[in-house]
Amino acid sequence: MKSVEIINIDVSYGAKKILEAISLYADKGEILGIIGPNGSGKTTLLKAMSRIVAPDSGEVRLNDQSLATFNFRELAQQIAVVPQDIAISFDYTVREIVMMGRHPYIGRLSSETARDLEVCDRAMHLTNVAHLADSSVHEISGGERQRVLIARALTQEPKVLLLDEATSNLDISHQIEILNIIRDLTGSVTVISVFHDLNLAACYCDRLIMLKEKKIVAVGEPEDVLTRETLKAVYGIDALVKPHPLTGRPYVLPIYERTAKDRPTERVHVVCGGGMGSDLLYALHKEGFRVSAGVLTVLDTDYATVTALGIPCVAEAPFCAISPDARSELERCIDEAHAVVITAMPIGWGNIENIRILERRRNKPIILLNSKTQSFQDFTGGEAEAIVRGLLDRGAVEAERVDRVLQILRETA
Amino acid sequence: MSRRRLIAVPILICILLASMILAVALGPTSISIWSLFNPEITWTIIWSPETGLIIRPLGYDADWMILWEIRTPRAIAAALVGCALAVAGTAMQGLFKNSMADPYILGTSAGGSLGAALSIVLFAGAGLPIFAFVGAAIATFTVYTIARQGGKIPVETLLLSGVALSMLLSAFLSFLMYTSGRSLHQIMFWLMGGFWNVSWDDVFVAILIPIGCVAIYLYARDINIISLGEEDAIHLGVNVERLKQILLFVSAFLTGIAVSIAGAIGFVGLVTPHVMRLIVGPDHRILLPAAALAGGILLVWSDTLTRTFAGDMPVGILTACFGAPFFIYLLRSRMKA
Repeated sequence: MKSVEIINIDVSYGAKKILEAISLYADKGEILGIIGPNGSGKTTLLKAMSRIVAPDSGEVRLNDQSLATFNFRELAQQIAVVPQDIAISFDYTVREIVMMGRHPYIGRLSSETARDLEVCDRAMHLTNVAHLADSSVHEISGGERQRVLIARALTQEPKVLLLDEATSNLDISHQIEILNIIRDLTGSVTVISVFHDLNLAACYCDRLIMLKEKKIVAVGEPEDVLTRETLKAVYGIDALVKPHPLTGRPYVLPIYERTAKDRPTERVHVVCGGGMGSDLLYALHKEGFRVSAGVLTVLDTDYATVTALGIPCVAEAPFCAISPDARSELERCIDEAHAVVITAMPIGWGNIENIRILERRRNKPIILLNSKTQSFQDFTGGEAEAIVRGLLDRGAVEAERVDRVLQILRETA
Repeated sequence: MSRRRLIAVPILICILLASMILAVALGPTSISIWSLFNPEITWTIIWSPETGLIIRPLGYDADWMILWEIRTPRAIAAALVGCALAVAGTAMQGLFKNSMADPYILGTSAGGSLGAALSIVLFAGAGLPIFAFVGAAIATFTVYTIARQGGKIPVETLLLSGVALSMLLSAFLSFLMYTSGRSLHQIMFWLMGGFWNVSWDDVFVAILIPIGCVAIYLYARDINIISLGEEDAIHLGVNVERLKQILLFVSAFLTGIAVSIAGAIGFVGLVTPHVMRLIVGPDHRILLPAAALAGGILLVWSDTLTRTFAGDMPVGILTACFGAPFFIYLLRSRMKA
């Protein structure tokens, strides 16, 4: 059942159009997240739902009834809003602020009933502010004040809870604490929340709505909305989207630097595996080297890195030895490369070909990235170690850190 | 609402009553207050269009005259005017979520004074309370409209537009004084504020003040909520636009009545809510009655002191003497915060 439905609304402040042709709905009891860059109209969309702004055209409906037909008190019994921190001018106590949530239920000539007090107490217990009831709202921390505002919203006993980046001023532990409280409400309460943090949105929302420049660009479950393509199109960032290892929800990992100047003449082949090459691959990619990698099995962590960075790679099926096809592909890569970097990695019978192949390429500059924390692990009973030692004897250079590797590559270019 | 804070109201009632009795007893002429309660006096109530309402005992003497005709209405009027200004100030501070609002600073009093002066110059003082109220209301809504920027009322613009309008209205008042020499002394009175020609007639106008106070008290819970901000108040089910109109209208009404009785007395509406907020907390359900009573006490004492020791100096001078430094202190502590 649709709890909130927006049918084709346009909203503007004066002559400035803020939202255009927005249609969406929220099912009863779900958590709907609104995401999008600054200035995309997220907060205005929330204000249209709480009737702070009226749409120029179109309609907002609550439980199949037009929002415009509710009076102020009726609306406050249905919809509660948790703002981003508010400036409270006077020295109210926590209990006084929370009790204000009962305002839509108390008549002008009446005062609070026992039931009002009970609802207020329950909300304070739920949000863990009961112990602060008699403290001044100016004496408590930002996280506590935010919990007080949530308690006040719960005291309204709303059917719909709107949150405007209600946790963005808080540290991560308070964000999680508050979002957990809100998630526990679902079923009975429809939650619509603006999020700044995409990963929190992905973790807590059933569905997401992504806005860009006044319009909705994507709607759906988090994994459908948060993709590399939409992030590029909406936020203009390059980011990896991975399933969170524990929750399975999409997790956005921005690639912080953009590719620098191109260095097209210098081609580097990286032999790596077991996740030992990721930082090197990223550094080379960032510095503009033309990089190739392999042979890697498709389950390898380093394989995930090269696909994320778009680096050409010789791939092999998991748990297989290197096939003749892969081997000749590797030879081609190494021949084309200006230099080869071998990172410390576990070497077994499956991937020993990767280094054995170098024994016959005496003129190729070879760098071994072999730090104190990261060293070769030999699972071949000494053979791999012998090869590595042989390479060093024939002039391979050892480097302890990634930036040293980059320096050597620049010098040999 | 804690019981400890609730107890402040009966205490303040007692202090106000005691203050009023002392105000009647104290003065340059020492008279025993007990003569008021002489059981041998027979009371008469006379009303005629020429004299208005007269309540006096048969065979009264000069002492009686001073106590009953001068000091008693004066004490009652001072108490009620103090209530009116304090309640208007409290409502404005809550509405503008700004503890520096006050009918004097926001130009409401100046508007009321100009209205009163116009009624004196044009109609020989006929309908003076109505003129004062209309002037106060126009001034309040003008300041409110000037200060409002995109749905918000920033503190700075509010204070500045109040000051600017007050100056303009004072200029009009000076112009009236300059052009109509005959009522100069009368108009001077509206500028300074005082109770020296208060009579029982004024007390009957002042009966309207408790009505205005009760009207504002009905919205005490709404004022609590709007003091968190207008958007927040809408979310909590308050009809913000209507509430603002009601509060501004009733505040202007209270200030207009106060001005029509005692002229523009400043800073009572600023200081009282502030001090009471420290004592009973910010909940307007207690703050409004506490501020009303404290405003009454403040003005009764201010009037008694000026009347007794300063040769009937306008009381507005005294309230400005302690109110203006208090205002500067608030401004400084705001800047530090």
